[in-house]
Amino acid sequence: MTANLILAIAGKDWRLFWADRRAAALAFVVPVVLASAFGLVFARPTADSGAPQLPVAIVVEDDGPFARAVADELLASPRLRAVEMTRAAAEAAVADRRPGVAIVLSVGFQKAAEWGVDRPAVEILHHPTTAAERQWAEGVLTETVMRKLARDRFGDGTPVEPPFRAEATSVAGAAGGFDSYTHSFCGMTLQYLLFWGMESGLLLLRERRRGAWVRVRAAPVPLAAVLAGKALATAGLALLMVAVTFGVGRVAFGVTAAGSWVGFALLALAGCGLAAATGLLVAAVGGTEARARSVSILVILGVSMLGGLWVPAFLLPEWVRDAALALPTTWAMRGLDRVTWQGRGLAEALPYVGAVTAFAAAFLALAVWRLTADERRRAAGLGC
Amino acid sequence: MTAALRLQAVRARYGDRVAVAGLTLDVAAGEVVALIGPNGSGKSTTLAVAAGVLTPVAGSVSACGIDRAADPHGFAAKVGLVPQDGATYDELTAAQNLEFFGRLYGLGGRELRRRVARGLSRVGLTDRAHDRVGTLSGGLRQRVNLAAALLHDPAVLLLDEPTAALDPASRDAALADLARLRDEGHAVLFTTHHTDEAELACDRVAVLDAGRLVACGKPGDVLRPRGREVLYAHLRMPVPRFLEKSLRRELAGVAELEVTGNRLRLAADTAENLGRALARVLAEGLDLDGYRSPGSSIIRGVSSEKVRQ
Repeated sequence: MTANLILAIAGKDWRLFWADRRAAALAFVVPVVLASAFGLVFARPTADSGAPQLPVAIVVEDDGPFARAVADELLASPRLRAVEMTRAAAEAAVADRRPGVAIVLSVGFQKAAEWGVDRPAVEILHHPTTAAERQWAEGVLTETVMRKLARDRFGDGTPVEPPFRAEATSVAGAAGGFDSYTHSFCGMTLQYLLFWGMESGLLLLRERRRGAWVRVRAAPVPLAAVLAGKALATAGLALLMVAVTFGVGRVAFGVTAAGSWVGFALLALAGCGLAAATGLLVAAVGGTEARARSVSILVILGVSMLGGLWVPAFLLPEWVRDAALALPTTWAMRGLDRVTWQGRGLAEALPYVGAVTAFAAAFLALAVWRLTADERRRAAGLGC
Repeated sequence: MTAALRLQAVRARYGDRVAVAGLTLDVAAGEVVALIGPNGSGKSTTLAVAAGVLTPVAGSVSACGIDRAADPHGFAAKVGLVPQDGATYDELTAAQNLEFFGRLYGLGGRELRRRVARGLSRVGLTDRAHDRVGTLSGGLRQRVNLAAALLHDPAVLLLDEPTAALDPASRDAALADLARLRDEGHAVLFTTHHTDEAELACDRVAVLDAGRLVACGKPGDVLRPRGREVLYAHLRMPVPRFLEKSLRRELAGVAELEVTGNRLRLAADTAENLGRALARVLAEGLDLDGYRSPGSSIIRGVSSEKVRQ
């Protein structure tokens, strides 16, 4: 009997969602569009797509043969995408971060060929935000000069390779390494699950102000069944959103779970539960619809950014990453990263599934407690 | 008659304000009772208590002998509520609304489909079953509202101002619905501001003031002294305040004039005086859409133009 009541409430909310077909379609289209855009913006070369090249400007102010030879080697280096230009042009380009670094072989650089005590200066011009690139350029320059000096001193037959062989292994990635599209589709889907949860909460707030709510409350239906029906509808539609978003991502951008599909499915279910609990929480603590909307948007955008839903969490400062452990989005995103582009198995996904489920359960408990108390107050003539 | 709905010494409040103070009222099966009174008199609160959506701080409410406090779900199954406005989902069709509310009362499958079809037919909406409620007129929406309350065939029907915001034709249809519901054996309790509705459609009238029942009885006894002739009319255009005052002065000693919104009420000692007062009102150019006299219980539906001719 209660199951039928829950299904009746869920069915009604399902119909209300589809009643405005354009709005319903947008709920599916917007996350796909945003995920595609974010994926494109944050696309990075991976281990299999060749060594990355640092864009750099080369300025040659010394007219000696050593400076010329070094500049030519830098321009030919497979680790750089180097372009030679004048100092003025290089300064303007670096200020605009196109590229972010310039190597200036200043007048007197020829002295470097003598490898004496009097070492000439090499200027590295860089944009304020490209400290890492500056060090990268400095390293390539040092390597190039040292090889050149070794050949000049000991002849062309001298081995110039380092006395070791570096083998790189990505410890947090599947064979394909980081995939910006997979990350973006996970992040944007999670964010829009929360937005959908918020919308369903606002729908409940709106409904409680309508006469239809009085009729629902006058019917022989326990409040728990009403709330369960609402949560079921929200979670069901959220699951459909996940399926559609990832389906499009898979077909259009090859988004996939390189690790455990079961782990992915469990995380998706936990995320849908989180959306449903968020919806009820919005209705429980939101107050008026306008207030709930404003606060919810702010909170959802905040937890999305801090949880690494927009940009990979490894790009965020360490203290932010530590603080973000208090957010459900962080756990959901990390779990999805594990089972998708990092290629991890079910066992590694389970703690994240547990954490997201725990957050959802806590939100749900708080929401049900508040809504039940509020309904009691209303029935006693104490509420609005 | 056995009471289908029984309110006993009900006391209800909103916050610190006492909205209903010790109300006792019975409504029998096959009886229509109107709750009448000024704004804030406790009409809607009484209905909310009777529907079980507001818990009284004292007293008891029962439907067909089922006490609301002891068995709230059993009580709810016996009661049908027609809230004042927007008590359906505008985004859903009339049929979808009825299906949803029917499911809340445990209906399902073939029985639900049968009752939805019957409900729509009962309120004359079979051909609009698949129209969204938001696209229907106010009168038709109110009919969907009524059909939703009747789906589970409740013994007690509660209507909160069922004719508010309806045009005269829809209002007449709504009042006719009440008479039909009474004939079908429902106990009907409804709230209204309009004494003409109470006089025309009810078996009894309960007058509330400041949450207390100040009078209860047959409409003719409660709403007008014996022997008084009364006429109600619907105004097509609002009456300017000065004109209302001037008419009232002119009619003093002949008839009493009362204007509430777009309703006009004339009361006189004799039918002759009432006719004279009506003629005077029409002569002043007041545009009456129709008028009715509960004494004869005949809805004449005569327009001002016809009367002038």
